[in-house]
Amino acid sequence: MDKIINFKINGISVEAQKGETILTVARKNDIYIPTMCYISKTTPCASCRMCVVEASGVEGFVLSCNTPPTEGIEITTNNAELENERINIMKLYDVNHPLECGVCDKSGECDLQNKTLEFDIQKQNFSARDQARPIQQWGLINYDPALCILCEKCVHVCNEVIGDDAIEVKFGGYSSVIIPKNADTLDCTFCGECIAVCPVGALISSDFQYKANSWELSRVPATCAHCSAGCSLEYETRHMGINGADELYRVKNNFEFTSLCGAGRFGFDFDNKATKDDAAFHKAVEALKNAAAIRFSSIITNEEAHILQLLKEKLGIKLFNEDARKFAEFMKSYSSVSGKLHHSGSLDAIKQSDAAIILGSRIATDNPGVRYALTTAARHNGAKIVYAHPMEDVLMQNVTTQMMKYEVGTEEGVIALLASAILSDADLDESEKAFFDDLDLGYIYAETNLGEEEFSLMMKSFSRAKNRVLIVGNDLIAHERSDNIAKLVALIEKYSDFSIVVVPREVNTLGVSLINTLDIDEDIIDVVGYNDNGNFVISSLEYANLSVPALNQQEGTVVSIDNRVLPTNAALGFDGYNLNDLANALGIHKKNTIDYTKELNTNAGFKDIEFDNLENFLSKMGDDVRGYLLDEVTCQADGQLEELDDLPEFNGTIIYHADPVLQFNAYTNKTKQLEKDNFLRGSAQFSVAAKISDGDIVDITFGSTTIQREFKLDSELKGTIALNPTFDINVDPSRYRFEKSKIVRVM
Amino acid sequence: MNNEQLNDRNVSDGYFLVDIEDYPTDGWGKFKRVIKRTFRGELFVGLWVVLREMIRFDTHTIKYPEEKMPIGPRYRAVHEMKRLWESDAERCIGCGLCEKICISNCIRIDTRLDENSRKEVSEYTINLGRCIFCGYCAEVCPELAITHGGEYENASDQREHFVDYAGMLTPLDKMKAGTQVEFEGFGAITPHEDERVKKTPLAY
Repeated sequence: MDKIINFKINGISVEAQKGETILTVARKNDIYIPTMCYISKTTPCASCRMCVVEASGVEGFVLSCNTPPTEGIEITTNNAELENERINIMKLYDVNHPLECGVCDKSGECDLQNKTLEFDIQKQNFSARDQARPIQQWGLINYDPALCILCEKCVHVCNEVIGDDAIEVKFGGYSSVIIPKNADTLDCTFCGECIAVCPVGALISSDFQYKANSWELSRVPATCAHCSAGCSLEYETRHMGINGADELYRVKNNFEFTSLCGAGRFGFDFDNKATKDDAAFHKAVEALKNAAAIRFSSIITNEEAHILQLLKEKLGIKLFNEDARKFAEFMKSYSSVSGKLHHSGSLDAIKQSDAAIILGSRIATDNPGVRYALTTAARHNGAKIVYAHPMEDVLMQNVTTQMMKYEVGTEEGVIALLASAILSDADLDESEKAFFDDLDLGYIYAETNLGEEEFSLMMKSFSRAKNRVLIVGNDLIAHERSDNIAKLVALIEKYSDFSIVVVPREVNTLGVSLINTLDIDEDIIDVVGYNDNGNFVISSLEYANLSVPALNQQEGTVVSIDNRVLPTNAALGFDGYNLNDLANALGIHKKNTIDYTKELNTNAGFKDIEFDNLENFLSKMGDDVRGYLLDEVTCQADGQLEELDDLPEFNGTIIYHADPVLQFNAYTNKTKQLEKDNFLRGSAQFSVAAKISDGDIVDITFGSTTIQREFKLDSELKGTIALNPTFDINVDPSRYRFEKSKIVRVM
Repeated sequence: MNNEQLNDRNVSDGYFLVDIEDYPTDGWGKFKRVIKRTFRGELFVGLWVVLREMIRFDTHTIKYPEEKMPIGPRYRAVHEMKRLWESDAERCIGCGLCEKICISNCIRIDTRLDENSRKEVSEYTINLGRCIFCGYCAEVCPELAITHGGEYENASDQREHFVDYAGMLTPLDKMKAGTQVEFEGFGAITPHEDERVKKTPLAY
């Protein structure tokens, strides 16, 4: 049982849960304690000492940020002595702080400025010899040490939430600075979280620097359009130049509670520009009338998906979306065993977990939101994290406690072994028991290249864990045997306390899979592509026959990995036509796309709520009140496990479709700031096996596709699998992500 | 002052009728008025005054546009951009406060990061068609960079003649000659300001 501690702050009786500090309790009860270095999502830095309070029976001051209350204690948050202490701290902060507030990019959103005015620091009583501290340019981030107040928020966030651990404090009294860890320049995933948390203008986006002031920018709350984590963000827009139209200037997030990866923060300018082209519009209507099918991507809103579904019903055509179809099939098999339509876990569940398994995903680049949640779990709960994948990932090394390196293609065997380890004491029914009894463990261990001791080690490290999570990635969804894999995953959920998170591939794969009934993609003519390939392309990307708005130009909802329906808003206007106009021309009448929000498939858990009634913010205490959670839907659990198939072998030069950091899809490829790193990356071992060397231009053939890329030797990689980015090419998402490939040196 | 005075609607006290002859109503009366006015000789009085002043050459008017009245230092006419006395560099730091405060929304400023990692004003315009010359921009400017000038002649075939940033800046030859005129109006520093400056303690 969690104990409740009763105590008093300024004479007001308050309650604290176990693990809460005086500061968190005070904030919960609207009692103000000033802080400079405190940030809710990390452990207290305790570097500013602004949060000092007096406690009855304790001599001297107490730091409220890292002190838990004791029963019956009386706290005073403000009196003359405390005020004096705080004023002195502020005076020290202000020593030699450059008086460039007029040009500083914080432009008034500055903690230091606020507190200086709050404590009425009029003059500098202390002095120190000022020193030359040149501005550091770290790519997307600029650091001005002269402005830095050494609050250490950036260091804590980088280490505890993001997991890059790329910066540290170089201690040296007055000459302390933030420096890149073990490197000359910053080498990290450029999430930009350090920019977000910086209370002064020391860490700044190099693209945004000196371009605009915060008061000129209008903020549009939205949901990130790049991956399924569904991070909340705010697009900030302003007119470009003197007479220009509105443009996106930067993205901000509620850094106190949420994080954002670099793609979300720096990859915002993927908007589409178009005017009303009537000729193209009529051609599009004709094309849709004559179409046999619509092929579309999952980078669309639920409302667009709903319109496509209505078009399918009205025109009697097929809908192709291999990515969502595979996901839907996976979830169908999953629910046939678990009895529930949606997976049970969420990012919050991962954050609070103390044991996690990641299986079948290069999660750090597939879904940074999950990575940050895992880092938080590892740093704050000491979570044991098992990373099961055929390739090591440098980005996950910091948090992974156990690496399970299995052979490519043997996911079915791995999940069977996992299930048998986890469910060894579970109360299974007859057929399920029989399934595990029939497993040829020796064969599976041999083929997967995993040892029994690895699983016993895992179970031992998990033995004390209370909140356990299994994260399942795209390698399982797009696997040939995904059907049986899904059932085994569901079995773990059904008979153990694991909560399951299935990571959808694209931003709204989950939503599309719930709304649309999809057909198997056929290579036929008369296919209209909607944000995808086709004979007639309606798209928000380049080379479209009819341009439609991108996700930052339209209102609508998407379903995130948390099964949460998240609203997103139009940051920029769009002058052309959209899908709803096409639907209206084809006889499906609604004034606005968002009129469909309350008509979304209630059988899949959607609620009958108008778009305009959906909230899009985080509460003062950081509770996510955006949109709504999908209703839990139960379904029949009549799925039967199949016998394990022979585990396939992958030999030769294997490539793995995985995007580099900050890249996800054609939209991130379109943005100005994000690096377009489209090399084929492989280890030295791979280069020997494929007979290519660093800098070679190679033809890569997999399936029926051939692409040309430059090969780059990556010292961080090991083994004989190379990484092939997919953000700049079109890869069939229904195919298994590891591919046997032929690699030929061209020049 | 209390409101009673204003609220007093009684017009009988303190008001009186001016002694004006009634207008003639009949034709004969009107004819008599015309004859009387025509032969009164007032016309020749006026002509004599003009003739006398012409001979004396004692002009009281200003021959605009050859001659111009001196304009008061606080007059708010077309804006100027001042330079620093020390370095001749532009005073404007690109903070954007003038754009923010402008109540007729006629100022637009665009800034960027220059090669020396400083903020640089890349574009600056004032739409004089909208400007109401309220002087808020000059008042809010922390650097005394944007001020009003005495240039009140707003007629030109090109509006850009007044509001282009380079045109607003004090010309360099004027700086060399030391003839840049400080604005004394709204937003200017008050007299004896330098006596109130407190120095930062320097122990070393």
